[in-house]
Amino acid sequence: MSDKEKAQRAGVNGEITLGDVKNEKKIRRKELTSKGEEKLAYWTLVLPGFLIYFAVMAFPTLFSFILSISNYYRGGQLFGPKAVDFKLVGFGSYAKVFQDEYFYVALKNNFKIVLISVFGQIPLGFILAYILNRGLVKFTGFFQTVIYLPCVISTVVIGILFKSFFSPTGAWPEVIRIFNPAYQPTVNANPMASVLLVILWMYTGTYLLIFIANLQKIDSSIIEAAKIDGASEFQALRYIILPALSGVIVTSAILAISGSLKSFDLIYVMTGGGPANRTTVLSIFMYDKAFKGAPNYALANAISTIMVIISFLLIGLTKLAEKKFGGKE
Amino acid sequence: MTKLRKVALVALIALFSVSMVFAEGAKEASADGKVTLRVLNYIDMSEPNSANEVALVWDKFSAENPDIEIIREDLFNEPFHQKTESYVASGNVPDVLYMWPSGRSTSLHTTGSVQDLRPWLERDGLLDSFSAPSLAGQAGGYLGELPNGVTSSHIMFANTKLLADNGLAMPETLDDLIAMVDVLAPKGIQVIAMDNMDSWVMQSCLFSLVVGRYGAADWYDRLAAGEIKFTDDWFVKALEAIDTLYAKGVISRASLNSPYGNCRGEFAAGKAAFLIDGDWAAAAFMEDITTGKALLSREQQANDFEMVVFPALPGEVVSNTTSGVVGTGWGMSADLEMGTPKAEAAWRLIKYLQGEYVQEYRLSTGASFPSNLNVDVAKVIEEKNLEPFIGKRAEFYNTYGTTPVIDGVLHSDVYNIINVGLQEIGLGAKTPATVAAEVQKAWEAWAASNI
Repeated sequence: MSDKEKAQRAGVNGEITLGDVKNEKKIRRKELTSKGEEKLAYWTLVLPGFLIYFAVMAFPTLFSFILSISNYYRGGQLFGPKAVDFKLVGFGSYAKVFQDEYFYVALKNNFKIVLISVFGQIPLGFILAYILNRGLVKFTGFFQTVIYLPCVISTVVIGILFKSFFSPTGAWPEVIRIFNPAYQPTVNANPMASVLLVILWMYTGTYLLIFIANLQKIDSSIIEAAKIDGASEFQALRYIILPALSGVIVTSAILAISGSLKSFDLIYVMTGGGPANRTTVLSIFMYDKAFKGAPNYALANAISTIMVIISFLLIGLTKLAEKKFGGKE
Repeated sequence: MTKLRKVALVALIALFSVSMVFAEGAKEASADGKVTLRVLNYIDMSEPNSANEVALVWDKFSAENPDIEIIREDLFNEPFHQKTESYVASGNVPDVLYMWPSGRSTSLHTTGSVQDLRPWLERDGLLDSFSAPSLAGQAGGYLGELPNGVTSSHIMFANTKLLADNGLAMPETLDDLIAMVDVLAPKGIQVIAMDNMDSWVMQSCLFSLVVGRYGAADWYDRLAAGEIKFTDDWFVKALEAIDTLYAKGVISRASLNSPYGNCRGEFAAGKAAFLIDGDWAAAAFMEDITTGKALLSREQQANDFEMVVFPALPGEVVSNTTSGVVGTGWGMSADLEMGTPKAEAAWRLIKYLQGEYVQEYRLSTGASFPSNLNVDVAKVIEEKNLEPFIGKRAEFYNTYGTTPVIDGVLHSDVYNIINVGLQEIGLGAKTPATVAAEVQKAWEAWAASNI
């Protein structure tokens, strides 16, 4: 049936004219064009981000996994005339990783860093932020600057600084000699302790800043009202401030955990993972397998894949924690 | 074509265009006929004169060879070795590069990333210009790098004045050294200073010598032939000697917290009777030619300090030996073909770097001892009035026998286990027998697929 016929038939009833039919078609076409444009806009916005994510995150992760189950032990070109004989050989590299005693030392050290970050940097950052925000000490600006200062100094500079500080001829033995003149430096029974101390000192400022920013958002009149009603400083902290900051605390914990797994630069410069791998972490352990002596890239990639899996597990855990404790602001 | 496809196409074209710009790399020769060479250089930052090398060696070459443009990368210690491994893995090594005859440069040799330099020497009639030991086959079985000389990875620097001031004589046995602890420790003086934070130091600078003393000069050949094992007496005794040095306080366990190069100043300041390091460490005590200052003055070098080897060990099968290896030197990428402008430019650079001028310069700074026979060491020392340590170093080479350096003959899959094992012994965490068993296991695993 043509448009004219449609209009004529409809016209009998005096409902639809030829012009109406044409208008309806125009509207439909316009709607379709809008949907197409919407789709185009969507892909235009999403595609660059997706491509970048795929190129720098997803692809290297997948590629790393493939290398970890391959015979790409000594490296070499994968394509071209000089390409190596590349084969998938199974999970032998993973077995090697799990048989290596120093893998567990590295893993343990990573967890120590997670612990010092979550239960050291965050509480300390919060306490310092609380003291400064509530004006419990004078010169708050000065203290804020001093505490935040390590965050703006290059990690390599800090690493070299503390490497010298803790060396047997450095400042640390001299400090001890003030109290014990007969002191002779000996090897530290727990060399990781000095590394953890530096990590605590270095990153507490970041959490201080996060907590101060969020503490400033809390309306001071609420705290004052509570005080008028007879609440103590501790009660104000316990029942007003901490609940208001619960979401920030969980977010800080996520930041701390993800940052801990990435630990490399400071430890690499400060100790190189030594002595006898006592201060190594997974990233240094992986780096050593790839670059110290003849490389074993399959093994290094197996460690890298294990690190990705651990990251997913920890992110899952923090998400669970967020569900339970977060978002009460 | 939809708009989406058009956008994707434009994005891809842009991406590839940018990639092509960055992936183009250096051209063989530019329009003005200049050849560009990529060079990976090693600069020893623990030596006072190392920075002068830029002006006195590299800038001089550029001035004399305006047709060659050099893009140089200067690195030191671990970052240098790790960058080298990255280059090998990528299959894109620089045109000319500083390298070791084995050890940390093993990958360059065994993957054929560098070429045999013997044909170049033959072509130019230079075979007789270098000492025969320096032209021996290296980790890949060929002359992968033209060495600066032959290196002793061990020298025991002795502060003879300090010994005399404390009523002590030069030690002849390990027991003599141990007896010094009771005299020097109460005064806050170490017997032997070492920096053992980096795991290679103990292995290269002392343990290789000890292994040589118990295993003799041919220990590696007998090991490879299956005649001896790491779990046998020769190796376990060597590990026990290191254990004893730590346990008796001859070497402080705190040295495991000491970064490489740290204790040289302490030694020069009289805080230790001996310093154990490689022969290259001699340069650290000499005059900085830009400031005229030195850790040890000429008078001190001449009168108060000596270069000796570690004293006799109980039950050693050879005596008065050091550990030595062909020195570091310069290699050329295997991608460069003889006769092409780039290869010829690279060879010209290597010849310059191992020529009389640079080897004399390195001798004068104490960086290395010449492999080039045209350098008359005695004459240069006299004519240039070089510091006493240069002469003492020459005497050292003529006095002692040599056994292999462990990382010069073993693969890193094995020597890395030794390096960490020595630190475990230093920490008191593992016994020599345990470490020996671990090394044997690593050796068997490596030998199974390589011998």
